[in-house]
Formats: sequence, structure tokens, C-alpha cells
Amino acid sequence: MPTDTLNSLGEIAATNTWGAIYPEMILGCLALFLLVLEVVLPKFAHGAIPRIAILGQILLLGYIVVFDPSGCCNGVAFGGMIELSGTGQALRIFFLLASIFVSYLAMVSFENKTLARVEYFAITLVVTGALSLMAMANHFVMLFVALETATVGFYVLVSYFRQNVLSLEAGLKYLIMGALSSAILLFGIVLLYGAASNPALAGSSEDAMNFQNLRAFLEANPTDSLAIIGMLLVISGVAFKIGAFPFQIWIPDVYQGAPVSTTAFLAVSSKAAGFAVLLTLVKTFAPLSSVLVPVLTGIAALTILFGNFAALTQRNLKRLIGLSGVSHAGFLLIGVIAAQAVPQATNWVLFYLFAYLLGSMAVFAVFAHLPKVWDSDLELDDLGDMAKRNGFLGIALAIGIGSLAGIPPLAGFIGKFLIFVAAFKAELYVLLGVGIVGVVISIYYYFGVIKAAFFEVWRFTDEDEEAEAAPALPGATLTGLGKLTIVVAIAGSVVLGFFQGPLGSWLSGQ
Amino acid sequence: MNDSVSLLHFAIAIPLLAAFATLWAGKLGRPAVQIVSVTGFALPTLLAIFAWVSYNPEVAGGYDFVTRHNTGLEAVGISLHLGLNGVALPLFVMAAVVGLAAGLYAAQSKAENLSRYLFCLLVMQSGLMGVFASIDVFFFYFFHELALIPTFVMVGVWGGRERSYAAMKMTIYLTLGAMLSLAGLIALYVKSGAESFDLITLKAHLAAAPLSDTVSTYAFGLLLFGFGILVSLWPLHTWAPLGYGAAPSSAAMLHAGVLKKFGLYGLIQIAVPLIPGGVGQWEGWIIWLALGNVVIVGLVTMAQRDLKQMLGYSSVMHMGYAFLGIAAMSVIGVSGAVIMMVAHGLTVALLFMLSTMIHHRTQTFEMEEMGGLSKKAPVLSAFFVCGMMASIALPGPGLANFWGEFGIFVSLWQFKPWVLCVAATGIIISAIYALRAIARVFFGTESEDFQEVQKEHTVIDMTWAERVPALILIIVLFFIGFFPKTISSSLNDALESEPVYATTEAEQGGSH
Amino acid sequence: MTVGLEQYIAVSAALFAIGFFGVLRRKNTLVIYMCLELMLNACNLGLIAFSRYHGGMSGSVFVFFTITVAAAEVAVGLAIIVALFRKRQTVQVPDLNALKN
Repeated sequence: MPTDTLNSLGEIAATNTWGAIYPEMILGCLALFLLVLEVVLPKFAHGAIPRIAILGQILLLGYIVVFDPSGCCNGVAFGGMIELSGTGQALRIFFLLASIFVSYLAMVSFENKTLARVEYFAITLVVTGALSLMAMANHFVMLFVALETATVGFYVLVSYFRQNVLSLEAGLKYLIMGALSSAILLFGIVLLYGAASNPALAGSSEDAMNFQNLRAFLEANPTDSLAIIGMLLVISGVAFKIGAFPFQIWIPDVYQGAPVSTTAFLAVSSKAAGFAVLLTLVKTFAPLSSVLVPVLTGIAALTILFGNFAALTQRNLKRLIGLSGVSHAGFLLIGVIAAQAVPQATNWVLFYLFAYLLGSMAVFAVFAHLPKVWDSDLELDDLGDMAKRNGFLGIALAIGIGSLAGIPPLAGFIGKFLIFVAAFKAELYVLLGVGIVGVVISIYYYFGVIKAAFFEVWRFTDEDEEAEAAPALPGATLTGLGKLTIVVAIAGSVVLGFFQGPLGSWLSGQ
Repeated sequence: MNDSVSLLHFAIAIPLLAAFATLWAGKLGRPAVQIVSVTGFALPTLLAIFAWVSYNPEVAGGYDFVTRHNTGLEAVGISLHLGLNGVALPLFVMAAVVGLAAGLYAAQSKAENLSRYLFCLLVMQSGLMGVFASIDVFFFYFFHELALIPTFVMVGVWGGRERSYAAMKMTIYLTLGAMLSLAGLIALYVKSGAESFDLITLKAHLAAAPLSDTVSTYAFGLLLFGFGILVSLWPLHTWAPLGYGAAPSSAAMLHAGVLKKFGLYGLIQIAVPLIPGGVGQWEGWIIWLALGNVVIVGLVTMAQRDLKQMLGYSSVMHMGYAFLGIAAMSVIGVSGAVIMMVAHGLTVALLFMLSTMIHHRTQTFEMEEMGGLSKKAPVLSAFFVCGMMASIALPGPGLANFWGEFGIFVSLWQFKPWVLCVAATGIIISAIYALRAIARVFFGTESEDFQEVQKEHTVIDMTWAERVPALILIIVLFFIGFFPKTISSSLNDALESEPVYATTEAEQGGSH
Repeated sequence: MTVGLEQYIAVSAALFAIGFFGVLRRKNTLVIYMCLELMLNACNLGLIAFSRYHGGMSGSVFVFFTITVAAAEVAVGLAIIVALFRKRQTVQVPDLNALKN
């Protein structure tokens, strides 16, 4: 083998800063460790395995937050495969936090079922690691492999309740839609690669799938039609993942059928990873923004309107939250578009994601605790009389829904507020107007949830006749760990709404 | 940059802490709930009165008790900047007094889940104190929403008939209003170039470089209609009578009395001084819509048979006068509007409370089904007559409302005499419905329905638990009526320091 | 006629389109799955063609990843289809309609 190839391989190997991706490696090792435990531990001790998974993640998260909050190093590593940055580190914390909540939700919703349990937690860990790498990807190969690792994991997680037809059907739908979107994304990558590796064009590169090289090529050839088609296909593939219009069709069915923990995982982590990729791609495709921005603007406006209007008529809780999540994706898209003109908006999008995480997790935790054999059957009526059945869950639901609706003084409000400021600064007036309409519509169905949970049965002393006709709904019980988990979610929503303290300078992008 | 803690922090924090303490006290029984919650209402009132007495109008910039804290968004231009000027002070005091009365009345009521009800009310009170104490526009909005959310919950959970629909309608209307005004405020933040939500900073920036005509048109339009929905500007007022009709009395007292003034306060303190050109561009709209409030809603009020609905419509009608006072843009008109906001807040709270007391005795809000109550409950009727007289601004026994409307009418005479002529018909309309309501409810013969009700319930006069909150409101109303200078002198100083009001005053004074 | 880059890409795009419309139009889940694989292989063909004609190895290397990913997808996907068939005795899309409003 010629020496110069060896030398260049040596150079690349020198950038393999394994220390920089220790959280992902630990997650992978933890997943394997869980599988080993299942073999080693006696059957009666298997109940401890989910707890070990959660504990391991909490320790890892604690270590990162306390000792390594801003990441060890910035810059490109692994021969251009990943880029380490503050944004990547924030998302890493995000995915870990979400994964802890998801593991807890899974623990709760598996309690009364006969299922293989350990695999769920192992797959959750692997998927979390993959999402985190996806957020740091700086190369289409890395992006695709991480994305597929996560997606294949999600196929399993969605259809995990294999006694339940709804779960399997949701799994199949997610499988087809996920594979279709991956194929579209891949074909987009092929076209971009084909355009940017053409030696006849200025700025072409042998390693055209690297984002920096691709951007350099696009700057030199901003009107290359092959590249523009490729970009649109890649954006379509990502739009599938975030559930943006018109690629949101899978969302209601899959969200309804999947186990509640997987629904939460999809709604929060998968969507956030999609946005992380989109933020990177928007930077990479900046030279083509004359095509990209109008496309994204149209998608964002339609996503907000479609998500909100479709959610208006839903009675199934998980469909409703899923479609409300579609409108959240629209708001986040506004932030992503604005981020091109307003640099701080990148961090505002991340703040919105954190607020969305905390609000969603509180809501999904309530769903997981409601007594129902399969959570895919949960309807608005199942929320009735929350305040009397379990006041604590009632408060959690109210705060979670309030934060998703963007009501002050909760974190969701600050998130929406910052997105609006960003939109104004970037002069996206149409999107701002659509956003305002969207908020007003969304209040209607979020209010419907609150109404179902608190208003319907709970009556003023004067007019009590109807209240007695309604059947009493079963109470819901919580363990200490459950209370703690929910308290973290709702306290986070409240505190981030009032006081952003140390996040302040991060939010202003300094 | 963090200053020391001021009394304004306590006025905001005490109700909030008391709210959670009340929730906790729910386990200890009714007396504990009552003591904790009333303390939560009384302490801010004492602080507010202390602020009123010790307010120093000579301070630089016109704001006393100023304090500023970074909550984390300082780099984005948001900080918890509190202070009171001559415009905010009377409203701040009024919020505290109405809150105390509503709290006292709620604490003795028979509402189901009393501790949760008082929790909502105390959170609302905390937000109300914050609204008028904020110099930072972001927190001004933030505290408004903090007070607004419990209102929806109280209407939806503890409300009367049609409460679910009323709560839904209120939520959607008021969210729309709030979102529009938020868009307007963000427009100011971005377009002024100040990159700050601090009112003083914004003012300095906009004084140096006013907004261009286009920007000022749409920014003022957003604020006008956003705030307008919140203040029930005609024809966007339909949520108000429905909502107040369904709301439990304490919630209606706090919302109609205090929270609704948020929009007017926002126009007086933020929109007009920051966008002086905006009023001129939207002048026709403001005048016609406000006249719609006075005349059309006034006529609708006359047609009401339900006492609580009538009060709801009459409160919508009076907002029209306040808009007209602002449209005149003179010191006397705006100060009249502020005095009327204060007086109206006290009066409407009193009337909503009394109407619920009447309901307890007659078991109905239908005025046709009442009559002759004055024989059974003379004290109640005396209070009600007094409240109604105040509400229609009778220039008699030292009631504060008169000074407010008087100021507004004088300014309208200087501004556009024809507007005054149309608006004055409102006086006749309100006199008719007020006197008719008094006559139907308290005097005349007892209706058959009322006699039926009396067979099952003995009708008693007001108890002391009911009299105390009513007395508090009446006393403050009379005090301001007899000594209007206690609020108007610092109010006028504050308004004269605003170039927009002072110059308009000089021009109009010169031409007449 | 010589076969050049354009012909390869045309075939690749045609295969991709056939796969895409197959996914949208066909009713049998297994056929849909084959169409998905066809789309992935169309991408592979495109990658290799570009890699060969433009020089550089990264396209060819990517193909190995794609093949691996496709294999993993098939393993999981067929498992889901089999599990669903055991529950419902059908793999026809119109029959799988338990999830709806």
C-alpha cells in the first residue's frame, strides 16, 4: 500500500478523539451490560434490571451536567465524521434526560403485562446513543448510519406490545414510512454526492459527503439543479422524521398504537434529533437558501395549521398529543428558519425543545399511570375527575398541558415567546401570523383536555343532578419513584418559566 | 445587576406563597384555610396602602420603589424591573383593595373545595399586583397571564350556568387578545432597536428615533386590538357578559374590577407614549368603536333581565368612556380615564358581590322574579343603591366615578364636541337601567316567585361577614370621591411628564 | 451507444421511482417491502456510478453501510410482519385498519 495513503489514514486516526464520545460509548456498554445481567441474574431479580438502566443513565447525566456541561472540545473529529459543539452537548443532555423519562414510563406501563422486558431498556439506550451521534453528525455517512440505528430500534420499540394488534399495526406503519423516508433521504444524499463530487465543477471534492466540503461546493455552484433536487429530497426525508406537513400522515396512527413510553420517545427524542439534523443541514445548505427558505416557510405554516386543525377533533389522547406535536414541529421550524438570520435562535430552539420535553413527559407520565389495559385506548373521557382520583396527577396534567399550550408562567411560554421574537427579528411576518392563529386554535383543544380532566364531573353545589349519573372512574396510584419523576418534570416546567438564571447567557448566545 | 428586595416583591410574593399555604391548609380544616388566605390578601393591601402614603412623586423618572433583578433573560433584554409611577400607583392600590374584598367574600362563601378556590384567587391576586408594579413590559404581560389562567379555571370549575361554554369562549377571546398585544410588544422590542423590554429604555430609544409611519400603524393597531379585546372593546366584547354571568362572584370581581384594566393601562402607559403617532392614525377607529361601547352596548344593557348579565354589559359600556378619554390624549382626559378605571374597579366589584348576595336570598338572577327586597334586607338595598349610584357617576355624594367621567367629558369638549354629545347619551341610558334595576329588585311588590322562595328560605339581611368586604370597597370609593387629589396630583404629574399628553393638552387648550 | 454516467443514473432514478410508486400503490405488505428494498438498491447503484465516474471512494464505501442497514431493516421488518400475520392472518394493507379516528 502506498505510504501517502497510510499517512493520511494516520492523520485521520489522530482525530479519533474517543474520549469525546464517552457518553455514547457508555450507553452502548450499559445496553450490553443489561443483556449480560439478564443471563447472569436469577429470574426473580430481573425486576432490578430496569432500575439499573435508569440509575446508570442518571449517574451519566449527573456526571455530564456537573463536570462536563459544555463539552470537552469543540471542532471536527473522527476525520470529519462528527462535529463537537455546545449545541451537540446540550442535545446530548436532552437525549439522556428524555431517555431516563422513557425508561421510567416503560417500567410503569410494563407492570401489568407479560412481556420480555430487558430488551426494551437495552434498545432505548442504544437508540439514545445513536440519536446523540446523529445530532453531532458532520458527514452524510455518519448521519445515515446513526439515523438508521435509531430508526431500526424504533421499529422494535413501536411494535413492542406484540399481543396488541394496534401496537403491531403501528409498528408496521412506522416501518413502511420510516423505510420510505430513509430511502428518500438516501437518494437525496446520492444526488448531492453526485453533484458535489463532479471534478468538472468548481469546488468539488472527493469527500463530498462531508458537510463543510458540500457547503464549499454549494457556495461555488448555488444553482446546480442536481444539488437542489438532492437537497429537497434530503429535507423531505428529515421532514418525515419531525412529522412536518405533508409528511405527518404516519404520526396519529403510530403515536396511538405504540406503547406510551415509545410514543413519548418518538414525540420528544426522535423529533429533537430531526431538528438537530435540520439545524446542521440548514447551515450546510445556506448557499441555496433562496430555494430552501420558501420551502421551509411553506412547510412550517402548513404544519402549524394542519397539526392544530387535525387535533381539534381528536378524542383519543395519544392521537391528540401526537397532532399537537405536529404543530410544535411547525413552531420549531419557525425557529430553525429564523436561526439563519438570528444566530441566538439556535439556542432558543433548543430551549423550546427542553420545555417541550418537560411538558410532554409530565403529560405522558399521567397517561402511563391511568388504569387501562392498553394505553392506545385512552380517550378524553378516561381523564374525567382527575382532581378527585389523584390530585397529584391532576396537577401534573394541568402543568404539562399548560406548558405545551405555552401558558405563562410555564417554560413552554418562554419557548414560544423566544420563537416569536426570533421570527420578528428575522422578519418572518407571515409565519408569525400563522403562529398566533395556531396558538389560539391550540388553546381550544388543550383547554378541552383540561375541561375533560377537571370541569366535567366536578360541580358547583347548586346543580348536582348530572354529576351522580356519571360512573365513578377508578383511582390511580403512584409509587415514590413515580412521584419523584413527575415532580422533576413539572418543577422543571415551572422553574424554567419563572427563572432561567444560569441559562440566560447561553440563551443570548454568548 | 441585582438590587435589594423591595415592598413590591413582597406584595407579589405573599399572595403566591399564601396560595400554596392555603392548599396545604386544606388538610387542617376550614378555619385554617380562611386565616391563611385572608392573611395572603390583607398583607399586600397593607403594603399597597403604605406605598400610597409614602409615595414620593419627586423621584427621578417618576418611578418610586424601583428595583431590578436578573431572572436569566437580561441578555435578551428582559429583567424583573419593578416600580410605581403616578399612573400605576392608584391602580396598584385598587387591585389590592378589590383583592382583599374578593378574598374576604370568597373565604366565607360555601364554594366546594374552598382551599382550591382560594388557591386560584390568590394566584390571580399575585398576578394583579405584578401587572401594575412592572416597569418591564415582558413581565407586565407575564403577570397578566398569570392572573388570567386562574380566571378560566374558576369560571370553568366553580362557575354558574353555561360555565363550560363561557370558560371556553373567554379563553379563546382573551388568548387572541393577549397574543395580538404580545405581537405588538415584540414589534416595539424589535423595531425600536432597543432590544429591550424595559419601558424606560424603550421610551428613551423611541424618543430619540420614533417609529416610521408604517411600523407605528401596525404596531399600534396590534396593541389597540389586542388590548381592546382584553378590555371588551365593541364589537369584540361578547366574551365579557357571558363570562361574568357564569363566573363565581370573586372571580368576576377581580377580573371585571382589576384585570380588565390591564388593556387600558397598557394603552395609557405603553402604547400611546411609545407610539404617539398611532393614536392619530387610528383615531376614527377608537372613537367609533368606543361610541359603540357606550351607545350600542348601553342599549343592550337596558334590555337585560338578568341582574348579573346587566352588570356585565354595564361594565363593558363604561369601558367606552375610558377609551374616549385616551383618544383625547390630553392630561385631563387620560387622568379622568385612570380615575374612572379605579372607581369603576371598586364599584363593579361591589356590585358583582352584592348581586351574588341578592342571589343567595332570592335564588335567582332574573329581575322579574324579585321585588320588595328592601323590606327584608334594608342594609343590602342601601349598599346596592349606593353602588348603582356610583356606577352611573352621579355627581352627588362624593363618589369617585364622577371625577373620572367629569374629566373625560371636559377633555372631549376640548377635543371633539360632537363626540361628547353622543357619549353623553350614555348617561341617560345608564341612569335608566340603574334606576329600573333598583326599582325591580328592591322596591315594588314582591313577585310570586320570590314569595315561593321565601317559604323555603328565610331571607335575612347582610351578615357582618358580608358587610365587611362591601364596607371596605365603599369606604375607599368615598375616600377617593371626597379627596380626589390624593391620587390625581401624582397622576397628573406623571402624565404631564409624558410629552405626548402634555403637548396635546397645550395645543387643545390653546385652540379653545 | 456507450453506457456512461447518465445511463446509470437514469436507471437508478427509474428504479427509485418504480420502488416509490410501488410503495404507494401496492396492497401487499411484502411487496411494499420489496419496493422499499428496490429504492435502497437504486440508491446503491447511483452511489457506485457516481463514485466510479467522479473518482474517490466515499460513495463506494457508503454502499457497504447501506447494505448493512438494509439487512438490519429486513430482519426487524419481517419479524414485525410475521408477528402481525400471526395475529391477524393477513398482510393486506386495506385489512390493517384497526387504527383510525
